[in-house]
Amino acid sequence: MNSALTSIKLVLLGEAAVGKSSIVLRFVSNDFAENKEPTIGAAFLTQRVNMGDHTIKFEIWDTAGQERFASLAPMYYRNAQAALVVYDVTKPQSFIKARHWVKELREQASKDIIIALVGNKLDMVETGAERKVALEEAENLASQEGLLFFETSAKTGSNVNEVFLAIGQKIPLKSAQQQQQGQGSSGLRINDDSRVDLRAAQDGPAPSSCNC
Amino acid sequence: MSFFDSLRQKAANVKFLDKLADNFTPVMNRDEKFRLEYKLPEEEHVLDDTNADVSILNPYKRAKRAENSERSELAYVFSGRLYLTPHYLVFRDSFDSTSCNFTLNISTIRKVERAPIMSYAYSLAITLHCGTRMVIQFIGLRNRTDQFCHKFKELLRENIPNTKLLAPFLETCYSEYLIARNVLRESDVNPPPGGLGQRYRYPGDASKEKPKLKLWLDYFQDQGKNLTIVKNHMFYKLIRVGVPNRLRGELWEVCSGSLYSRFANPGEYKRLLEANEGKDSRAIEEIEKDLNRSLPEYAAYQEKEGIQRLRNVLTAYSWKNPDVGYCQAMNILVAALLIFMTEEQAFWCLVSICDNYIPGYYSKTMYGTLLDQRVFESFVEQKMPLMWEHITSHDIQLSVVSLPWFLSLFFTSMPLPYAFRIMDILLVNGPKTFFQVALAVLKINGEDLLEVDDDGMFIAILKNYFQTLDHSAHPDSADIRYRQITKFQELLVVAFKEFSIITDSMVDQQRSKYRKDILHNIESFAKRTQLRNLPQVRNLTPDNLSNIYDLFYLCIESHKISMGTGSSNMDFEAFVQFLSKFCDWCKPSESDERPNFRKQKRAFLKRLFTKWGSSGSQELTLNDVVFGLDGLLSKDLMSSINYFFSLFDEQGKDEINGESILQISEALLFLTEAWKSGRYVDKLTQKSIEDDIADSIVMNNSAKGGTLEDIELPAGVTIDEEKYKQEQAERYLQAASNFLQRSFEYARPSEEKEVDLIDLSDDETESKQAKEKKWESLKANVALNPNQTSVMDLATFRMIILADETYEMFFAHTLRNSIHVDEKIGSRDSRGGALRNMFDGFLADGKRVASQVRRRVDSVATKNSSSSGSAAEATDIQDEVDDFTSGHTFEHDDLLKHDLISLEDNEGNEPNPESQRKKLESFSFSDPSETREHSLIEFEA
Ligand SMILES: Nc1nc2c(ncn2[C@@H]2O[C@H](COP(=O)(O)OP(=O)(O)OP(=O)(O)O)[C@@H](O)[C@H]2O)c(=O)[nH]1
Ligand SMILES: [Mg+2]
Repeated sequence: MNSALTSIKLVLLGEAAVGKSSIVLRFVSNDFAENKEPTIGAAFLTQRVNMGDHTIKFEIWDTAGQERFASLAPMYYRNAQAALVVYDVTKPQSFIKARHWVKELREQASKDIIIALVGNKLDMVETGAERKVALEEAENLASQEGLLFFETSAKTGSNVNEVFLAIGQKIPLKSAQQQQQGQGSSGLRINDDSRVDLRAAQDGPAPSSCNC
Repeated sequence: MSFFDSLRQKAANVKFLDKLADNFTPVMNRDEKFRLEYKLPEEEHVLDDTNADVSILNPYKRAKRAENSERSELAYVFSGRLYLTPHYLVFRDSFDSTSCNFTLNISTIRKVERAPIMSYAYSLAITLHCGTRMVIQFIGLRNRTDQFCHKFKELLRENIPNTKLLAPFLETCYSEYLIARNVLRESDVNPPPGGLGQRYRYPGDASKEKPKLKLWLDYFQDQGKNLTIVKNHMFYKLIRVGVPNRLRGELWEVCSGSLYSRFANPGEYKRLLEANEGKDSRAIEEIEKDLNRSLPEYAAYQEKEGIQRLRNVLTAYSWKNPDVGYCQAMNILVAALLIFMTEEQAFWCLVSICDNYIPGYYSKTMYGTLLDQRVFESFVEQKMPLMWEHITSHDIQLSVVSLPWFLSLFFTSMPLPYAFRIMDILLVNGPKTFFQVALAVLKINGEDLLEVDDDGMFIAILKNYFQTLDHSAHPDSADIRYRQITKFQELLVVAFKEFSIITDSMVDQQRSKYRKDILHNIESFAKRTQLRNLPQVRNLTPDNLSNIYDLFYLCIESHKISMGTGSSNMDFEAFVQFLSKFCDWCKPSESDERPNFRKQKRAFLKRLFTKWGSSGSQELTLNDVVFGLDGLLSKDLMSSINYFFSLFDEQGKDEINGESILQISEALLFLTEAWKSGRYVDKLTQKSIEDDIADSIVMNNSAKGGTLEDIELPAGVTIDEEKYKQEQAERYLQAASNFLQRSFEYARPSEEKEVDLIDLSDDETESKQAKEKKWESLKANVALNPNQTSVMDLATFRMIILADETYEMFFAHTLRNSIHVDEKIGSRDSRGGALRNMFDGFLADGKRVASQVRRRVDSVATKNSSSSGSAAEATDIQDEVDDFTSGHTFEHDDLLKHDLISLEDNEGNEPNPESQRKKLESFSFSDPSETREHSLIEFEA
């Protein structure tokens, strides 16, 4: 823990039940719950990740997906440095919604926000469900808008850590110094002992990357 | 001041009001307040009220007392106010409502007698179905009392049919079972159907269940139960210490008033479900997504039965209140209710909670949630200034922390058993409860919270706090009794003792204070979102879209939208309203009095409505309207003509038949009516007026010579409005006739014999009336000679339009400029009637007159001859007209030659002193003393 620490405020947006909370749960606790309660308002979680010579602390805002909660979203993406815009690869409507979110972020959020487009529930396609959002379509959107793009499964854990890793790599380190003050002030640390080492995720198989 | 300066100044003075859509602020009337206070159903309202002293005698209590002594008829007397509503007799103690209040359903009354108490007073003794007796002693004037009793008697009679409902209803109440079993010692009774807890157990520690039940059993014996319960201090105390699980359902019903609505609406829940069985909706889709995700830790919700109950209640509510439909968090609330209640009970309880405790929380815009967050912030600011200072100085967003508490009634924040306890208190104490608890949470954790500086850490600290509510609040205390106090107990004490200063009326006050802001924010947020997600358009600017958005929602009642109710689509009537707000040709006018015009108007608007609508629905969305206007506002002449044609070309074959040709001509007639009747002036007329003004200025000043700066006007300038109106009207009539005539000339596909139409070739001497008549007969003529085979294609239509200067101008300019998407809401209202409109047009274009004058002056100065001045004028006009037609001239060269009526009816460039004089006659400088009265617009210099 002597390495430099960068805090990243990250927000998850996307239609209800696409698996935002599940992605966070996978990333933070390497766990999956079949019946996850819908997020009411938003949930806040943190996770620290070692990346070579520095540590990144993700401050994750997991928002509610239902349409009517959209007016609350600015509260959460305010000052966010990164966003995961999540859709469900088996639900075309959720991809339309993802487009809207990207647009809104581009217009309303911090100018240099890093956005990752995430197509979740890939495992369902692999186990026979019909894919409804074509890979190319999503890739097109990503390249047009300059987004990171991943297809993931929170259930199997596939590609989840990679999303966060990619964001971690894109965050300019400079903010690390700026954010350093104030770290020691609070007595409370969440998930201090369940860190994910993303360097391992790069080489080894993704799901087993948690070193807790 | 020179003439132009004054023109400019006048133009600048035209006021543009920027009125915001009036926000909707509900004001509760007396009955609404009354219903809210006593949690009574919609149909109740105060019929009469009076002061009275009330004492209550309970049969069980009497029996008990009788065993001890003979002082049976003694009881406390409460002084208070008595109210009558259609189904209820309501009483509340005047000094302290918690010392005695009841909401008695009239059908529970079995007998009413004059009581023989104290001769001077008027008293009634009431016996209830369960044997309880009440004595009511009226206070006040005798005739008021008589009046009250008379009304009471009437109501007793009216409520007799409801007594039949009583027995089956009571069978659903656990309190009845409790009495039957334990007091009446009936052995063959079964508990009524209840919540899932009956089978799947109740969350939390059940050790105190028995003693708590015993306390309530005593209370019911003393003070009645369910529909006849009298609430006193003891009642509130028992609620505060925690309700036994078995009675929780019924007590929630009593406290929330849902007991009354369930009693008033027997069978409605079932009917709602049956009537909507198999139907689909957005809400149902959303509900299905969450069914497996509602209190998944409670066993019943992992099974079909629990999930089915949840589905039924949520679905029934979405049908009952389609404006709300389904909001995430309702699933959790209902899942909690269903642990203690049957489906029907939970349904009515949900209705009552949504209406009375958390209004607007679950609406489509969630305005109630946002509002209460604002209210909460204001309480923190007032009551915890230090915390507030910390929060603001570190830019912490408090609502990020507290919103989930309110939205899910603490169910997702605290362990369930504690959340149930908060719910017990909420239902009896009202909405202030949330604020009290939330403030207490901040207060208790104040020290830790003041240490951290972002909202994330706030959440983390409080999450930890909520998870340890069962821990000791004072683990280090030496005193064991102190150590035994849990954090939850501490929370209740702080919330309801320290923050008892927060009252319901304060909450109300703050809610009304911030309501407007919140609704406004929601409106502008919704607007930004919607505008952002509109599809690409070509002819509308972002400002235009913003104005269209405002008008659109103005016409479908925007306040309802921000409260999350009502449809966000536009029906035909609203559409007509909408267009009339910013389209000159759709504005209400005298023309609307003519049935024929009304018919034309309706036909055209219907056509637009249908064309703009997508997928044949009876309503237009904002997208539809934007797309439609984008087409109608095509920027160039050709696409404007094409678009108009496409409105009539239903098959999209670039071709329309005879019937449609008639309709097109009717539509044109409707669209141009505003100009034909002189309410507006088009570019051609405007130019002719400007030229006349310029000419006369030049004429008047040429004698003096000199430069433009020297030109000044005498006291006043007047324009003969009538003359120009007349000219313009004739031009439009002529255009209409030409159109119809040519349409049927050119539409004919094969060479057939000439139809002998009335000749409408230009005849300047014809009167307006005569032309009007001619058009009618022409139309009749065509209609009588239906050329079934005749069709007109797009190219021909284009040609015909371009052949007529007025119609060409109409599509090139007039139509587009008559659709004021560039003006904000309200700015149009500031303009007066027709004259003002015309006048404003000139004011805005004062510059153009100025340039006309400058050219004339220049040419006068150089050539110093009046005839060359006139030549210059003709060239100028040519230039200007070219602005609108350049590029298309070649297409209609051949058509132009015989029909073109134009400003320059003085053929060629020959000076025509005659016509010039004629023009100038209508335009004169006049003495202020001898103004020509009506039909003159006056420019005061
Ligand atoms: N098969 C599969 N199911 C998933 C996956 N991710 C999430 N789910 C399931 O999808 C449902 C919704 O997941 P959540 O993580 O709660 O979705 P959310 O986006 O947070 O939903 P809201 O909070 O309502 O916006 C849950 O039942 C999850 O178990 C996945 O990768 N594969
Ligand atoms: Mg979630």
